Amino acid sequence: MPAEVVVIVFKSTHDVIKAKSELEKACIAHELIPTPKEISSECGMSLRIEKNVLNKVLEIFRAKGVRYRGDLL
Amino acid sequence: MIYFDNAATSFPKPKAVIEAMENYFFHMGGSTGRSGHKMAMEASELVFNTREHLAQLFNIKDSARIVFTKNVTESLNLAINGFLDEGDRVVTTSLEHNSVMRPLRYLEQDRKIKISVVQANQEGMVDPSAFEDILKKEKTKLVIVNHASNVTGALAPVRTISEIAHRYGSHILVDAAQTAGAYPIDVAADSIDMLAFTGHKALLGPQGTGGLYIKEGIKITPLMRGGTGSSSEKEIQPDFMPDMLESGTLNVIGLAGLDAALKYIIEQGVSKIRKEEMELTELFIEEAKKIKGVKLYGPVDIKNRVSVVSFNISGYTPSEIAYILDKDFDIACRPGLHCAPSAHKTIGTFPQGTVRFAFGCFNKAEEIKAGLEALAQISQRSR
Repeated sequence: MPAEVVVIVFKSTHDVIKAKSELEKACIAHELIPTPKEISSECGMSLRIEKNVLNKVLEIFRAKGVRYRGDLL
Repeated sequence: MIYFDNAATSFPKPKAVIEAMENYFFHMGGSTGRSGHKMAMEASELVFNTREHLAQLFNIKDSARIVFTKNVTESLNLAINGFLDEGDRVVTTSLEHNSVMRPLRYLEQDRKIKISVVQANQEGMVDPSAFEDILKKEKTKLVIVNHASNVTGALAPVRTISEIAHRYGSHILVDAAQTAGAYPIDVAADSIDMLAFTGHKALLGPQGTGGLYIKEGIKITPLMRGGTGSSSEKEIQPDFMPDMLESGTLNVIGLAGLDAALKYIIEQGVSKIRKEEMELTELFIEEAKKIKGVKLYGPVDIKNRVSVVSFNISGYTPSEIAYILDKDFDIACRPGLHCAPSAHKTIGTFPQGTVRFAFGCFNKAEEIKAGLEALAQISQRSR
């Protein structure tokens, strides 16, 4: 069975690139994808990660000041 | 050619700047924040990295608080027009460039803002207590300070002035046109609310690049509204940074160059660049003083300066001197009023102006000596 995934969405390109760069530094697997059309968000790009690293990712985001749409998580 | 016109624009640029721009044109080429393909994402990363390097250089916590503009004039216009409302009071100095004074004089008519001008002394130095005298009497929304004069090279005591401004509930906008890249700037330690800078002077990047840092909590109305690549379903401007103040496609190739320049400056260190530029400036000032007929302007103490020196030679107009320097000695400099009439009134050189030598980090001591020799010869020529 494939691992469950989570899509994190952002307001601006700046925020999504900052998120991506922080995940790269932390060596956490992630993929930039077009924001799914069911989600109404400001930024056209989102980050897909495996659900089992979500807490770790959010911890990094908080520590590094990465803004994301927590309300849509 | 000996290039002493670095206060207008720096020359040459580090080789890495040209290579980065070439690389962008040959191999990258995408637009930032508009599409999701690899080329667009690379462009978005490049823009992000440029913001991060600027944040590192100026000690800015959140690089999203930096917006890109085409030059410091646009940055100053964005800050001044976007922050001041009907009837607000501004305190500024007699050393400001027209990129500050013209938008202010326009708003004086258009929004009935009130402008108080702190008079600098004849050396071009401002006394911070003069700001306090005005601020304690009049409620002031914004203090605008030229960090270093493009005419005299005089540095303003920004940290002291910002402390005074904040004590009286005001904010401070710093025009760093002549200091960004040439003099250490720390927006946190200096308590700077807004920092306007350009990419093509001491930051060593290409023309067409500049920016404005806006402290968290300060609200600026955009100069322009339009496409941002975000919130595209809405016909109203986004309210988040940096998108709210960056409509339209960015100058990504320019930012590719600027980013390479920033990396160069960070690697060299602003303190090292300053030390070297001031050694050249000191050499020039000490020797030029001895040449009969040469009159130098600006602060006597080298610590109060950047590498910009204004002078005149008796018997000549500034434009005659610049013409002879160019034609007979292959030396590039700038004569006249340098877009700062009030600064020239302050130092007593209005309306004829001065000749300005502005040394850069690629100038050599031999070039300074050649400049001095040229001035000695010109002053000795019979007219």
